Amino acid sequence: METAFQLLVNGLALGAAYALVALGFVLVLNATSAVNFAQGDLVMAGGMLAVALAPLIPLPGLVLLPVILLVMAGLGLLLALVAYLPLRNRPPVSVFISTIAVGIILQNGAAVLFGPEPRVAPPLLGDGVLRLGGVAVPEQSVAIILVAGLLIGAQHMIFAHTQLGRRLRATAQDPEMARACGVPVTRMILVTFAIGTACAGAAGLLLANRYFVTPTAGGDLILKAYIAVTVGGWGSVPGAVVGALLIALFEVGVSSVFSYPVALGALYGVLLLILMVRPQGLFGEAVRRRA
Amino acid sequence: MLAAALAGLAYALFFASPYGLRVLTVAGVYALAAFGFQILFGLGGALSMAQGAFFGLGAYVTGILGSRYGLDASVTFPLSLLAPLLVALPVGLAVLRLESHYFALATLGVAQVLHLLAVNLPDLTGGANGLPGVPAFALFGWVAPRGLPMAALVWGVAAVGGLIGWRLARGRLGRSLELVRDDPLAAGCLGLDVGRLRLTAFALSAVYAGAAGALAVHTQRVVSPEVLEFPVMVTILTIAVVGGRGRMVGAVLGALLLIHLPEWFRGLERSYLIVYGAALLLAILVAPNGLTGLLERLFPPPPRALPDAVEPPAGPRATGEILRVEDLSKSFGGVRALDGVSLSVQAGAIVGLIGPNGSGKTTLINVLSGLERPDDGAVWIGGRDRTGAPPDQIARAGLARSFQAATLPNHASVLEAVAAARLPFDRSVAEAEAHARWALDRLGAGDLALRPCHGLPAALRRRVELARALARRPSVLLLDEPAAGLTDAEKADLAAHLRRLAWEGMALLVVEHDMDFLLPLVGWVLCLDRGRTLYAGPPDGARRDAAVIAAYLGGPAVRDDSDDEDGA
Repeated sequence: METAFQLLVNGLALGAAYALVALGFVLVLNATSAVNFAQGDLVMAGGMLAVALAPLIPLPGLVLLPVILLVMAGLGLLLALVAYLPLRNRPPVSVFISTIAVGIILQNGAAVLFGPEPRVAPPLLGDGVLRLGGVAVPEQSVAIILVAGLLIGAQHMIFAHTQLGRRLRATAQDPEMARACGVPVTRMILVTFAIGTACAGAAGLLLANRYFVTPTAGGDLILKAYIAVTVGGWGSVPGAVVGALLIALFEVGVSSVFSYPVALGALYGVLLLILMVRPQGLFGEAVRRRA
Repeated sequence: MLAAALAGLAYALFFASPYGLRVLTVAGVYALAAFGFQILFGLGGALSMAQGAFFGLGAYVTGILGSRYGLDASVTFPLSLLAPLLVALPVGLAVLRLESHYFALATLGVAQVLHLLAVNLPDLTGGANGLPGVPAFALFGWVAPRGLPMAALVWGVAAVGGLIGWRLARGRLGRSLELVRDDPLAAGCLGLDVGRLRLTAFALSAVYAGAAGALAVHTQRVVSPEVLEFPVMVTILTIAVVGGRGRMVGAVLGALLLIHLPEWFRGLERSYLIVYGAALLLAILVAPNGLTGLLERLFPPPPRALPDAVEPPAGPRATGEILRVEDLSKSFGGVRALDGVSLSVQAGAIVGLIGPNGSGKTTLINVLSGLERPDDGAVWIGGRDRTGAPPDQIARAGLARSFQAATLPNHASVLEAVAAARLPFDRSVAEAEAHARWALDRLGAGDLALRPCHGLPAALRRRVELARALARRPSVLLLDEPAAGLTDAEKADLAAHLRRLAWEGMALLVVEHDMDFLLPLVGWVLCLDRGRTLYAGPPDGARRDAAVIAAYLGGPAVRDDSDDEDGA
């Protein structure tokens, strides 16, 4: 019982971080109908940034969060300017390739700067163990769940209840119509890239303590974001979050019984199965619609 | 090109160091893998992320069988081609019908599974360290040691593979795949089996990758999970894009350039992949047609000669009822787009289909051509029940259609666009183009043949679209607003052409808002309103029918742009 609860907490923590990755992915997808293949490498970049900042700011990892959000948002703007805007009138596959190219540059740039070994970022608050109802759970897991929850909540509040959010949603729903109504569509796309990349950076910080960070970590992460979005229904924002939680729980559950490679293999197997029998995702597709 | 090949040969024979030969060999291996990717991604537009994995699978098959069982290439090489094919077929069957992003995801998943297996099945694969001691390429006692023999073997196989790829790319398969890439819906309506074409391309790409992987292992003499890692995929993708998408020559140029690039920038060491990333980004941003595109801009190919017109064979002259629609219904959500519509078109008859916007006209055409499945009712074409059949089957059964917004491939010439309609029927591209020329000549548009479709004025686009339908000699032709945007003279000309087609025995169903054009042309009119038949009878009656006038002709036009009139 106690192990089950611990597994649940660990699964939720992993899922919360995945949810941020998938969230950033799906926001950009909705705003541009383009797949941002660099999302996984951006997570890695956020983790590496945390590793690099940690010696400069010898405080808990949580203090790094605003810095990482800001720097990564800037990187997102750059990504949009270089790899999306020049290609927005070309077939979507062009952006797919340009973001693959950016991912390669990030990945190998990190390998040059940090070397191929796994690196560790500082924990958000501390390394200790909390006792919840008599069960010991790692402090870091609880902190990840709280921070990711706060960030996802903030994203939801911005999109649902502010003028900026309405404009962002209008851009995602119908860019032509939005432009006709006076929404500065290009600027909104830039903002979306900034938000999506900041999400990736935050996820990088959250993951880089317990799960380490290596320059090649992005490959698995983009695949998981992709799977989360497919499971949750292509284009659905809440679906992406739920999908991320599901695959993390699946991963943690199967790993605890068998091993991590088996869990990963099973995850990809299930993905292929879902694509075959229910390509619209578990909850239906929501392309160009946003809940 | 010959001169370049000779220069390469001279370099390999007289100037290359052993190391230089090895790099050249690796370039040949990657060119081979890239040929397959050019067919699938370059021509077919399907972004597979499994090309590197198929390369690795071919490598492991040769590596395991060679090092563990000492088998020679007569066994290992065919099996290295077969294994990727056997993985590609079921995966392709399952996911190729899906949107392209799902295809990329599924193939990425396949790649990750293969990598996991290679690392975690050490008894079979040697695990993370891989298997050493893979023998040299040996066939019936002849052995290709490292150096010149191996380089010659690899480039020999690449030459054969490249020639096959080049012929496929220029032939019916290549042309059909480009059509599928640019507009899968239109391709289906022209009678091309989109799923089968994509599957063929995927299977071919897997075979090429497997061959390349096998040769790579004979060169390296070890096989390790590295061959399944992402950099292989990245290299193949970069070669294809930098070289020039869809071009076999591009694959060779790209492979030679990118595999030698790290050698020229020795200082970069491990970080050569940064250069690949930058090259890929640069190519997609400033030279989307790659090196071959740049070369063609510098040395434009000579203008091609027009083929002579050849009349395509017509089926037996049809008589009687060609198209029969019984009680057809179709709903979208809560909206009944079609509600019990029945219709019959005889050979040689022209039927007009009218109704206000949103009345279900385009939905009816979409159901008849197989783009939408009806909820209820039946469609008979040439006496056979075709209800719910896919568009390509319906097209091959003799039905042709035009689209409201003419869907011509922008980069193709008019002749190529019309010839595309003959691809499912003719044996070669040359034959298809001769037949296309005939169709264009018949509509008085022969002089357009070499113009690019891009930038044609609307009236000419419609004529090309009509030629496309005509070239197939359909027994029934559905036209969606063929007169929109035409001048009076052009309309009269169009009407004359349509009358002649009917006189020859074709059955025509014409959707049109212009009553002065339509009513004199047709022998029967069907008027729809909110999916229901409002009127069916001779055109004179339609002018006098109170319901038709109220809904459409005389009354204030009720414009409701809510649904299906945007063309498919």
